Amino acid sequence: MGQTLFPIAIGIKLPFTPMLSLTNTLELFQLPFMQRALMGGILTGLMGGLMGSFTVLRQLSFFSDALGHSALLGISLGLLLGLSPGSLLLPFAVLFALGVAYLLERTRLWTDALLNIVYSSSLAIGVILLTFVGQYRGGINSILFGDILAVRPSNLVMASVLLLGCVLFVGLTLRSQILLTLHEPLAIARGISASAHRTAFIVLLALVVGTSIQAIGVLLISAFVVIPACAARLLSRTFTSYVILSALLGALGAVLGMVLSAVLNLPSGPAIVTMQLAIFLLAIVMPRSKLSAV
Amino acid sequence: MSADVLMVDGLTVYRDTYAAVQDVSFALAEGTDLAIVGPNGAGKSTLIQAILGILPRRTGAVSVMGQSLSGRGYLPAPVRHQIAYLPQNFLFDRRIPITVNELVALGWDDLGPKLPWADHRPRRLAVRQALDRVDALHLGPQPIARLSGGEMKRALLAYCLVRPRRLLILDEAPAGLDVRSESEFYRLLYQLKQEQGWAILQISHDLDMVRKHCDRVLCLNRSIRCQGTPDDALSPDNLAAVYGSDFVPYRHRH
Repeated sequence: MGQTLFPIAIGIKLPFTPMLSLTNTLELFQLPFMQRALMGGILTGLMGGLMGSFTVLRQLSFFSDALGHSALLGISLGLLLGLSPGSLLLPFAVLFALGVAYLLERTRLWTDALLNIVYSSSLAIGVILLTFVGQYRGGINSILFGDILAVRPSNLVMASVLLLGCVLFVGLTLRSQILLTLHEPLAIARGISASAHRTAFIVLLALVVGTSIQAIGVLLISAFVVIPACAARLLSRTFTSYVILSALLGALGAVLGMVLSAVLNLPSGPAIVTMQLAIFLLAIVMPRSKLSAV
Repeated sequence: MSADVLMVDGLTVYRDTYAAVQDVSFALAEGTDLAIVGPNGAGKSTLIQAILGILPRRTGAVSVMGQSLSGRGYLPAPVRHQIAYLPQNFLFDRRIPITVNELVALGWDDLGPKLPWADHRPRRLAVRQALDRVDALHLGPQPIARLSGGEMKRALLAYCLVRPRRLLILDEAPAGLDVRSESEFYRLLYQLKQEQGWAILQISHDLDMVRKHCDRVLCLNRSIRCQGTPDDALSPDNLAAVYGSDFVPYRHRH
């Protein structure tokens, strides 16, 4: 299969029968592109779960969704300028995130309403710009749903570096992040710079979303941020365990989703999100009286 | 004479286009207790938030333990660690998963870049001692969302005393408590004040409590209307000047 940056994920016909035995599945995961895809899924799941744990509690879930949709605009701009879509995606995502954060602070409008304006309009403009890029081979489907099977070694390096950055940021400032999430004035009174932390968090979130979009696509990226965190919340009693569990559930969903995708010959991104949903539903039905306050 | 822990000089704070606090000056000596009283909208919380650097000030100076608060709200970390602040109605998202142990531990940490497991043992010991001090050791593993109002105040007091402090700033700390819990809160607060030697700056609407416990009173209605000992500052004339001429104070009968 092709190794273009955005091959069409939907409709990919893998060279095996739809239902694979365990042996065949294990053999499949010995193929280099499947190993890269699995590693890409784990890295994306870990990053999404880790950053998602704070994103959800700070009620920024819709923000990550808007970031994902805005990426289409970034990709379209890149294509229109004759650049590789990936080269403009990350700087665009960061600038876009900072711009939206500024708008939210300045306008004092309802967050969900403003984000709705931003993401729907950026999506509309992005689609219009794409119509001017006639020779784009990947097509809109690959942007909307991504292709984790086309993950390249350079993507893995980028994702690993970013994951390390996220782990260091969250790990070294965990107490400050908890206090900022719990009660911002209390944190400021302790000398924590809320605006500096907020900006750093938003930049990291934008990078995570921008990096993951190549594998997961614009439409499903917010699921990677939101679903593992919500499942972890249902199962956690302490803040620290919640953050760790959220990251681990993100990775678990990715592994299970990749296996499901391979066994049933399903598109990878949707298969991963479906498994994340299954984990979330399991978390709902698990007895929680001793686990959580929810 | 004790040293001043807090000095405020000519402080003016704007909320949008109007001066919420104007030209306020006072000092708070070590181990003493100053109450700020005044009607709703008088700028009491604004004053406290400007002192802490949460809100920017327009003019004036704030000095804590001899260190000036910068225009951007910066105070050296060793000074910050000496201050504990309890906001008015500790409102938080009750879906946040955090236990009492974790909350109190946040009061112990210096919040600089640090590995999450660093200082685990001394932190755990300090948290246990602080919770024990406020008779809330049993609450440690509880999620804070499950606490009653009185239990929450105990947890917050433990957050304050989990490391040595010199200045405690309370913004209507007992708000939301019933009479019995409020009385218990103040009993505990002043017992701890005696032991810890805290200087306390607090906003209060309970004039009886202020008369009973506080060394000095500052009457605020955007600017200072009176200050002095409770007997002097809370005279009928001064109260009328602060709250309005038709103000009739209600006295508790315990």
